[in-house]
Amino acid sequence: MNDAAESRIGVFVCHCGHNIAGSVDVAKVAKTAESLPHVVYSTHEMFMCSDAGQQLIRQKIKELGLNRVVVASCSPRMHEPTFRRVVEEAGLNRYLFDQVNLREHVSWCHMREPEAATEKAIDLVRMSVARAERLESLPVKSVKVTPRTLVVGGGIAGLRAALDIAERGFEAVLVERAPKLGGHVAKWSHLFPADESGWQVIAPLIRGVGRHPLVTVLTDSHVVGFDGYVGNFEAKIENLKTKKVETFEIGAVIVATGFEPFKPFGYYSYGESKDIITLAELQELVPKPDFLRPSDGKPIKRMAFIGCVGSREPGNKGHEHCSRHCCSAVAKAASDLRSRVDEVVVLYQDIRTYGRGHEELARLARSKHVIYSKFPRDNKPLVHVTKTGRIKMSWYDILSGDDLGYEPDMLVLATAMVPPEDMADTAKMFSLTRSADGFFNPEHIKLAPLTTHTAGIMIAGAAQAAKNASESVIDASGAAAKAVGLMARGQVEIESTVSHVLPELCSSCHTCVTACPYGAISMDPSKDPPIALVTEAKCHGCGTCAAACPSSAIVMYHSTDQQILAMVEAYLCSPSVTVGGAT
Amino acid sequence: MVNQTATQSTHQSVWEPRIVAYCCNWCSYAGADLAGTSRIQYPANARIIRVNCTGRLSPEFILAALDMGADGVLVSGCHPGDCHYTSGNLKLRARWAIMEKAIEQSGLDPRRVRLQWASASEAQIFADGVKTLIEQVRQLGPIRSEWK
Repeated sequence: MNDAAESRIGVFVCHCGHNIAGSVDVAKVAKTAESLPHVVYSTHEMFMCSDAGQQLIRQKIKELGLNRVVVASCSPRMHEPTFRRVVEEAGLNRYLFDQVNLREHVSWCHMREPEAATEKAIDLVRMSVARAERLESLPVKSVKVTPRTLVVGGGIAGLRAALDIAERGFEAVLVERAPKLGGHVAKWSHLFPADESGWQVIAPLIRGVGRHPLVTVLTDSHVVGFDGYVGNFEAKIENLKTKKVETFEIGAVIVATGFEPFKPFGYYSYGESKDIITLAELQELVPKPDFLRPSDGKPIKRMAFIGCVGSREPGNKGHEHCSRHCCSAVAKAASDLRSRVDEVVVLYQDIRTYGRGHEELARLARSKHVIYSKFPRDNKPLVHVTKTGRIKMSWYDILSGDDLGYEPDMLVLATAMVPPEDMADTAKMFSLTRSADGFFNPEHIKLAPLTTHTAGIMIAGAAQAAKNASESVIDASGAAAKAVGLMARGQVEIESTVSHVLPELCSSCHTCVTACPYGAISMDPSKDPPIALVTEAKCHGCGTCAAACPSSAIVMYHSTDQQILAMVEAYLCSPSVTVGGAT
Repeated sequence: MVNQTATQSTHQSVWEPRIVAYCCNWCSYAGADLAGTSRIQYPANARIIRVNCTGRLSPEFILAALDMGADGVLVSGCHPGDCHYTSGNLKLRARWAIMEKAIEQSGLDPRRVRLQWASASEAQIFADGVKTLIEQVRQLGPIRSEWK
């Protein structure tokens, strides 16, 4: 493929059934595109992503010698990989394809303005054609994958992931900051929905990783350095006791750093009495043979629970989400403890026992005469501790319409799952982003919930969102499958959209060296004076260096100044539009 | 589309703001996608140009768009701290402060440019931002009216 040859652009406008064609005059868009510079073919079709649509693109590339392809359809975040593959199958470099977003950005958000939507669609196609003319083919590069996965976090998700990887014949390095494996689950006495304690559930996993020759277990350890790119990471792991740092070559990473149970200071007099505890604290208290009050060691007769503590609070950042495990965990704990105390009251906003076997737990609790009482969202129960240490509660019961009161011997607050304190450090270490709830962002919430935007780095368990132990295990096995898939292939393609320094323009000012967030640019000492040099494998393609360079010496491949400005110009200065500056 | 002829004639004669919207691929472009998926309706004046990161944008891209006749320019990126490339948006923000001054000194109204943060899940914030800029620009009139 010779990029220097004159551009022969094909434009394919998609109806997406009625999705685009319902508000955009696709025939008019295709017709207008015909007259754009370098466009030799333009059409509109029902579904460009269908087999027939793909076949049409391949056929026209061969028949008409197209060397640039523009598809005007859905978001490139959806089908760019599809169409890149299609043009590649017809012998065209994947970077000679450009996609116009007529669905998410036009038809779906201007549904009642067909005229304006069509005009916008025509502009966007013209902009894309102008960009396409300036596209350059880039080499498709692949790198080897080190057959070893780093699993960060030795809770139930990390254990499952490490063991899955090892059972498929690959090495796993399991890092846990605490002295012991097992995380939160190991401490829990009531693990719903089964009738096993957390320890019973997790012990086989701990033994499993312990005796597997392919798992390296590093407890009392944490990751202090992380560098590299997919398939070729380097992790520095420090032992917290000996302070010894070991370096590992790593192909993939699974971050399973879990959650923290929210400490609800400021809620329901937490901290004012030893008998007001969180659900997590209750879990550690229960296994003892006598169920006694922490304050005075007397037997507990009356117990109360309050749900949604620090969860589901609109407007309170980091506490807006439902913590998902608490309703079922409260039902389990309440029905288990009901036989050990005289009375159990559960105050709730809503009951969401959504999982398999969870609804049965809520029913079991009620059948054991656990008293459930619903309070209003905007009128939470009041709790105060008297001078003598008694806990006094009062609330409005929605269902009976009565103001009620209660004096429990112990009050348990079912608190939110929140990200651990050092979440920001972990995010920074592995270049992960976080969503509004503070947990790690997946690559795609529906289609790619376990991979992240950093290739080769997976997330599993409660590090991704509040979830229960069984859900965390599902994640872990999924993330392990992703890691094993990568390692089994042995090779992985990497993006060629990296930056490049034009040596003759570089003025050795070092600006780009400081601008690069990845340390991918260094000064090449073999040149006199030393000039900037991009280590392509480390470059993630953000283009910050290109924007910062005062000498315009940096080219950001596939996002060059010319490619971007051509789009602006095509929008504002096209011959059909007479306002604006000179072309 | 048959009954649109009436609006078409007025559409041609009335000035409509033309907005160039630079969006980063990871947050705001995805936020704009979600606005579509959620069928959030907003005015059709903006043309989105996708860049990997707002850090890719030097003031040149904003100034060039105004120079070529854009009535307004929107830059929309990830929230500080949420940048896919860790800090590209902060670099853009630093450049932005200087650029706004430059726009003011050049005699243009700085309300023609808008920098906003909208994550991939903040479809409404994205759409509202587009709307806000369009309304601002509508009050200021065509950019040509400011050319002296």
